[in-house]
Amino acid sequence: MQIVVLAKSVPEISEAELEINAEGTGIETEDLVLGINEWDNFAVEEAVRLREAHGGTVTVMTLGDKEAEDVLRRALAMGADEAIHLCDDAFEGSDPATVARLFARVLRDRKVDLILTGVQSSDANNAQTGVLLAQELGWGYATLVTKIERAGETLTVHRELESDTEERVELPLPAVVTVQSGINEPRYVSVMGIRKVRGKTIEQLGLGDLGVGEEQVGAASSAITRRSLSLPDTSGAAELLEGTLADISHRLATLVREAGGLS
Amino acid sequence: MVPSRPAYWEIEPIWLFYALAAVAVLVFGAGVARRVVGWRRGRAQLVLPPVGRGLEAVLRDGLLGARLFRGDVSAGLMHLALMWGFIGLFIGTVTVAVDHYLVGFLTGRVYIGFSIAMEVCGLLLLIGVLWALVRRVVQRVPRLSCTADDFVVPIWLLALGLSGFGLEGARLVAQEPAWASYSFVGHAMAGAWPEGERALTAYRALWWGHAVASLGLVAYLPWSKLMHALLAPATLFARDAIRTATSGDEEVVRFGRHQLLHGDACVRCGRCDDVCPSTGAGEPLSPRACVQASRRAVTTAATLVAQSWYCTTCGACAWACPLSITPIDTIAQARRGLIEDGAHVPPQLAETLERLHKYDNPWVAKKGQKGAWQDRSANPAQAELLYFVGCTTALDTRAQGIARALTAVLDRCGLAFTTLGKKEPCCGDIARRVGELGLFEEHRDKTEKLFDAHGVVELVTSSPHCWDTLAHAYPGERRAAHYTQLLARLLEDGRLTFAGKLDSRVTFHDPCYLGRHNGVVDEPRRVIRATGAELVEMEPHGEASLCCGGGGGRMWQELPEQGQLAQRRIRQAVATGAEILITACPLCLIMLEDARKTSGLEDRIEVRDLTELVGRALEV
Repeated sequence: MQIVVLAKSVPEISEAELEINAEGTGIETEDLVLGINEWDNFAVEEAVRLREAHGGTVTVMTLGDKEAEDVLRRALAMGADEAIHLCDDAFEGSDPATVARLFARVLRDRKVDLILTGVQSSDANNAQTGVLLAQELGWGYATLVTKIERAGETLTVHRELESDTEERVELPLPAVVTVQSGINEPRYVSVMGIRKVRGKTIEQLGLGDLGVGEEQVGAASSAITRRSLSLPDTSGAAELLEGTLADISHRLATLVREAGGLS
Repeated sequence: MVPSRPAYWEIEPIWLFYALAAVAVLVFGAGVARRVVGWRRGRAQLVLPPVGRGLEAVLRDGLLGARLFRGDVSAGLMHLALMWGFIGLFIGTVTVAVDHYLVGFLTGRVYIGFSIAMEVCGLLLLIGVLWALVRRVVQRVPRLSCTADDFVVPIWLLALGLSGFGLEGARLVAQEPAWASYSFVGHAMAGAWPEGERALTAYRALWWGHAVASLGLVAYLPWSKLMHALLAPATLFARDAIRTATSGDEEVVRFGRHQLLHGDACVRCGRCDDVCPSTGAGEPLSPRACVQASRRAVTTAATLVAQSWYCTTCGACAWACPLSITPIDTIAQARRGLIEDGAHVPPQLAETLERLHKYDNPWVAKKGQKGAWQDRSANPAQAELLYFVGCTTALDTRAQGIARALTAVLDRCGLAFTTLGKKEPCCGDIARRVGELGLFEEHRDKTEKLFDAHGVVELVTSSPHCWDTLAHAYPGERRAAHYTQLLARLLEDGRLTFAGKLDSRVTFHDPCYLGRHNGVVDEPRRVIRATGAELVEMEPHGEASLCCGGGGGRMWQELPEQGQLAQRRIRQAVATGAEILITACPLCLIMLEDARKTSGLEDRIEVRDLTELVGRALEV
């Protein structure tokens, strides 16, 4: 089975204190550490496991700046066979539709049975790239997948829906599957493991290689314009009650009642 | 007539004996060859210690059995009797062969002396073997394993001893030598035999029985746990050998040859399981099972996958092993293999390693937080002595007390020192202990570079873990000390003096990487006594100390079936009646402080770092 995994390099923000950049359009990434998008990490692991079970190759692909190469190296260390890096300054600011179109251009002429990617990315949270790529290629797709079983040219996938319901879907190959976190336990990637794949060649593709014009990519082509980004206002939301325990309890009960909490 | 004993007296045909001997030697050879072939599957990675030191270990720990008495005097005496009986009889057999085939000298008084010595050795062997069987069958010492081999070996030795004395008795009756009474055991048994021709028949039967049993034992030896008799000199000799392993090694997942040899030398006595803090707390780890599993050569054997992550690397197993086998090394090697394989790394450990990799500390997903404990302006930028605070002491709110107390104490002593503040990197100890060698090397190289840039000549650490790594795993020529050593030195120089006396009864928990791994046992005690506090000892203490459970990366892990390692220790501390439990390691401090709370002993005992005790005594 020829599997392609789409992986994205994102800033690690779970425990960071975020600051808005000077333009007010994004977060300040200077002091942030970059890493593989958590959902994509599950996708890489799932691809490697499918290859271990059914044979074939795993190719990992990303679109991003020079630093995004670390994500590819990490995936190679996890067991991916090949890596493709879509890297061009012109790509900066592309929306999910453009990214999907560029991926489609790369994959259209290659033999691919299955494309895996994370449900969403932790930075933009659009959850669109995988689905739009399926549309571009004219393939079937399944999102929010927590289990993948293969029987011949058909996949049976489990989708995680609301309220713990689970849907089982049959999906003919080729197809795009977006993977939900927790589908597996991704293996640990050691520093030595990454060092070992340092010498592996990564296929570099730029604007010219893809045969698209500058006006078709980047912020210029984007259907989305991010006007501003701001941190939620936290002032005035808290009131500190002072006094004896009895006073505080009394005041608290009054406040809750006034807000309609106690009737 | 001159006393002597003719060889093969009244025995026919002798060629049969030689034929049997040849078969025994062949089987013996095949057994040894099988083991050697097994070892060759491992990696050669050993740098042996100086010959003198190695031989000293063989003599002291092997022939004199010094290590056999650690924690179990009864077992030590039993084994010493058995071993010396066995060795003596072996030497006796060789002596008889030399006398018969090369130079005859066993006559007259020499023969009498030899005869008495053999009686004593035979008795020792019988006492040892019977004692061993009593321990296994009657006393049922829990740690002893009970496989077929564990019974075959002593019963075989018993049969050998009894048949030996039996045939001697029958021979004395048939031969009637004038010096029979010197063979006092056989002589005493002589009464059991009939006179004349029937004694001769019994003698012949017993002779052949004894011969077959002896040769059989030779053949069986390399296939049994008796193999340790041959391998012990090697394992003891190589105790202080350096085991090289670097991340650049392609075959890191394979065991080293010495580890496979350890697997073959192990007699499953279970002393390691007995002292292991994890085993003792009911966790699934068994150092013995790990060593036994290492025979399979591959680090990802099922036992090792299931058990390796429980190890705190406290080293009690290696300390307790009479053969100087090092289960801790076997587990460390297994961890390296598991890290490279990647699939069996516990999720929380993987997160910790990612955090170490990205943020240079195991605690917070943020850089540049390590100066936060300093509630005073920055230290002088240049000083020969660097206080290496360490991740835990710098970042954990409880452990930060160590840093504050130590800086205040050093200031009081008028000692100039500096810290790296928020630039201080992780020394790499955690990565090293969990088997992430590549990450350790990154940390090491980065830290070395920083030390060079700051012209650091001398280091002092809060944590025995950082100290162990900086002192033993860094190539640079710097003097590194744990603060207990520094304080003891200041005490000696008269720079650290106490005006008043603390009026407290305290006990001291030896951190594993201070006491057991590095032999620093007296220094902290000297400092404690200098404060005027009354020191009472816990059992166990010193090099035998019981681990708090925080080492080997355990501090940053949650494992299934996790036991309460530190609670065992805090109960031992409470049992001494001390008011304060002193330790000298941030990990011990956190673990024991937690255990004090979780076991409801908050009112019974206080947990302090030694720096805090000294700070209190100095009123700084």
